[in-house]
Formats: sequence, structure tokens, C-alpha cells
Amino acid sequence: MQNLSELTRRLVEAQLEFVLIGGFAAVAHGATLVTRDVDICCRFNEVNLRRIQKALGDLHPVHRSRPDLPLDLTPEQCSGLKNLYLKTDLGVVDCLGEVLAVGNFDAVLKQSVEVELPFGRCRILNLDGLIRAKEAMDRDHDRITVRQLREIKKRHQE
Amino acid sequence: MKDSPNEAQAPGPKANATPPEAPTSKDGIDLLLLEESLAKTVWERMLANDDALRLADLLHGAMVKTRAKP
Repeated sequence: MQNLSELTRRLVEAQLEFVLIGGFAAVAHGATLVTRDVDICCRFNEVNLRRIQKALGDLHPVHRSRPDLPLDLTPEQCSGLKNLYLKTDLGVVDCLGEVLAVGNFDAVLKQSVEVELPFGRCRILNLDGLIRAKEAMDRDHDRITVRQLREIKKRHQE
Repeated sequence: MKDSPNEAQAPGPKANATPPEAPTSKDGIDLLLLEESLAKTVWERMLANDDALRLADLLHGAMVKTRAKP
């Protein structure tokens, strides 16, 4: 069963350095489209990647492109990875080192806002960053999301 | 207590009245849905997404079962 909120809670409680991006970030801003995965941008260093592994460890995480391969990071992998696409018992978690049209983790972090969740603080890509990223992806559902995000931005400005 | 026959009655819905359409933006966004979402906290929006996912999966599962029946 998918539970994206629980996945987010685990990542926050593991003190992972990350910013929520993608469809779930759009949902957090108020978009009404339903999303099926958690996309995050995070710092790709060994400490942080080990936190992902610890946070999701009991959810049988596997690499999405190789479901026969459980998540079992080695120091070599940690230094070479740019992205990590995971499938867990509670849903898909895509971890990216950079975001199209926004930049690397530091650039994404600069364009993020902090929100208070019941279990701690979580950073989310801000509306402008999310609109840019979604526009750059240019898929059908991204275009619909962008229209909603622009409407939400308009309402914030009023 | 009986209503006075002279008392004005609130206009009831006509049997053939068309239900009002949800307001939409120029881009075709359902503004009522959006307002409902914006009235929630961030956490409530996340939970609502999970609820919708679960419902979609339940419906999908039911559809698959129905199709599998001879």
C-alpha cells in the first residue's frame, strides 16, 4: 500500500538533508492532482545516502530499474551516485542530485521554503522553482500542474 | 405551528433546474477544488493525496477482479 506521507515522515525524522520536489511538492503547495511518488533533491554524500538507507531500510527498498537489487549502498556507490530511484513497500522514492531548470542541491535549497509538519520541519521547493522545473519537464500532467501552481501563486499575491 | 398562507416561501429548487457549474479559471482549473485544497494545512494536503491514492487503488483492484470473472 502506498503511503507518501509516511515516507516523508521517515525522511524528515532520519534528518536527511533534502528538499521535496515534484508532484508531492505541488500537492503540498495546494495542487489538486494526485501523485504516486515522492521526489526529493538531496545532497549526494555518504552520510546523507546512509540516512536514506536507514530511513527506508525496513520497507524493503530496491532499485526501481533493478528490483532484484536491494538497496545496500557501498562507499564506492555513495561517491559515484548522481540519482537514486527506489521502490519501497510504501511507494516510490526518487532521489535526485539536481533539478532540471533549477540546479544542484544548493540551488534547490536556496529556492525552497520550510514548512512545519507534525513530526518536524521539511523543506519544499518554492512555487517559482517548482513552476520552472515542471515547465522544463513539459509533460502533459506537468502542464496541468503548472496551471494550478500559477493560480495558487496568483492567490498568494492577492 | 402552521405557516401563514401569506408568508413568503423560500424558492425551492425546480425539478428541471440545471445544477450550478463549479467555477473554473480561464485555464479550466476547478477553483472550488483548489480553494478546498488551499484551506487545508500542508500535512492535510499530503494525507488527502494518500487517501485519493488508496481509493484509486481500491477501484482499480475491483475493476481487475470484475474483468477476471468469467
